[in-house]
Amino acid sequence: MPASSAGDPPAAAGPAHADGPPAAASPRPSRFEREHWQRRLRLQRQLHDGASLRISALVPQLGVVRNRVPAAHRDLDASIEGLQDQLHTVLQELREIARAIYPPLLDEAGLGPALRECAERAEVPVRVDVAPGRYGAAVEGAAYFAVADCLAALLPGSPPVLVTARRDGDELVVALSGVPTRLAAGVRDHVGGLGGQVRADGGPDTGTIEARIPCA
Amino acid sequence: MRVALAEDGALFREGLLLLLEAAGHEVVGCTADGDALVRLLAEQPADIAVLDIRMPPEPDGGLVTAERLRAAHPAMGLLFLSHYAETHYLMRILEIGTEAIGYRLKEKVGSVDVLTDTLDRIAAGEIVIEPVLAKRLVERPRGDRKEVVDQLSPRELDVLRLMAEGRSNNGIAGQLFVTPKAVEKHIANIFAKFGLQEEGSEHHRRVLAVLTYLRSQRAARS
Repeated sequence: MPASSAGDPPAAAGPAHADGPPAAASPRPSRFEREHWQRRLRLQRQLHDGASLRISALVPQLGVVRNRVPAAHRDLDASIEGLQDQLHTVLQELREIARAIYPPLLDEAGLGPALRECAERAEVPVRVDVAPGRYGAAVEGAAYFAVADCLAALLPGSPPVLVTARRDGDELVVALSGVPTRLAAGVRDHVGGLGGQVRADGGPDTGTIEARIPCA
Repeated sequence: MRVALAEDGALFREGLLLLLEAAGHEVVGCTADGDALVRLLAEQPADIAVLDIRMPPEPDGGLVTAERLRAAHPAMGLLFLSHYAETHYLMRILEIGTEAIGYRLKEKVGSVDVLTDTLDRIAAGEIVIEPVLAKRLVERPRGDRKEVVDQLSPRELDVLRLMAEGRSNNGIAGQLFVTPKAVEKHIANIFAKFGLQEEGSEHHRRVLAVLTYLRSQRAARS
């Protein structure tokens, strides 16, 4: 489980961030936030490794049963095919839930691939420019959902959006350009608990929101 | 067909093994990780290797294993079965190869007919892409190359989508209820609009058309 350990060094388990930047003045909520994201990541993995795998395994087993149904019983064959289709629907719903808890692609491949996938689902053209790099489950989770909620809030027909993310010293800097600045409040809700600072600039409809999240 | 299988989930592995046998295929070996599959296939010939993407060696052992298999046995088909159909993994798969390769959701190859059709198409050298993913890619064009895709007629877009799923001309004709000749004409138009008339063999142009499309999306998004 590389992602869970990579960005959360043991030091984060205790309130020992005295040498951190001013934002670390409230280490308690930050630790709470980190545990919150770890819990979400674990739930998502549990959903995949448990229920989803068991349901997936039922499908080929039903296929074997179906293959043994004599050709005379076409209706039975169709019923089993119907059951298999329903299992696919259940799995698709579980995938949506897993994505909403903690996107598996974020866990496995990081912020860039996960945000690109998210952009693909958006109603508005979105360009994603994210440098490779891993930041740990909490920072990546908060950054991802901050962006995802912004994109989801855009109305179809809105102007194109540019999403960027890069490391700047001990911070992850995430920026959305071409979005209404009122969405900054939602971004702050996601990253504030980790000591993140949010700034909004530009016009009310096509402004820029920038979040700086400490990730040392 | 001779099939080898690597999948770390025991329940699904057993189910798929039974289904492969029910479909009349010879399963030459079954492993729980990629390294064991590479060792097995060094001794045992197979027509197609079926791989889970997310298995040991972590995190995405299926992809690493497939690269090694393609280098060691270029003629062997590769079928990835995964719990998720994601563009990110499709791109990585297409970097491994664009012939005799497939990417499908685990629960969508759950019948003898579909499983055999998928394996047959891969053995014939085609690319097989999970329809839900191919559809998403073709229907939601984004970014810089959107204009190129916008030049296609709705019919040409249908044809491109089915090409992206790896269908043959006859397969496309059957799906769209048109003649194979009409499909050829649509494909010639797509090649022309993508500027691919001069490129090598027909198969090569097909792959390039699909890749031009998929990669333009990736370029627009990355």
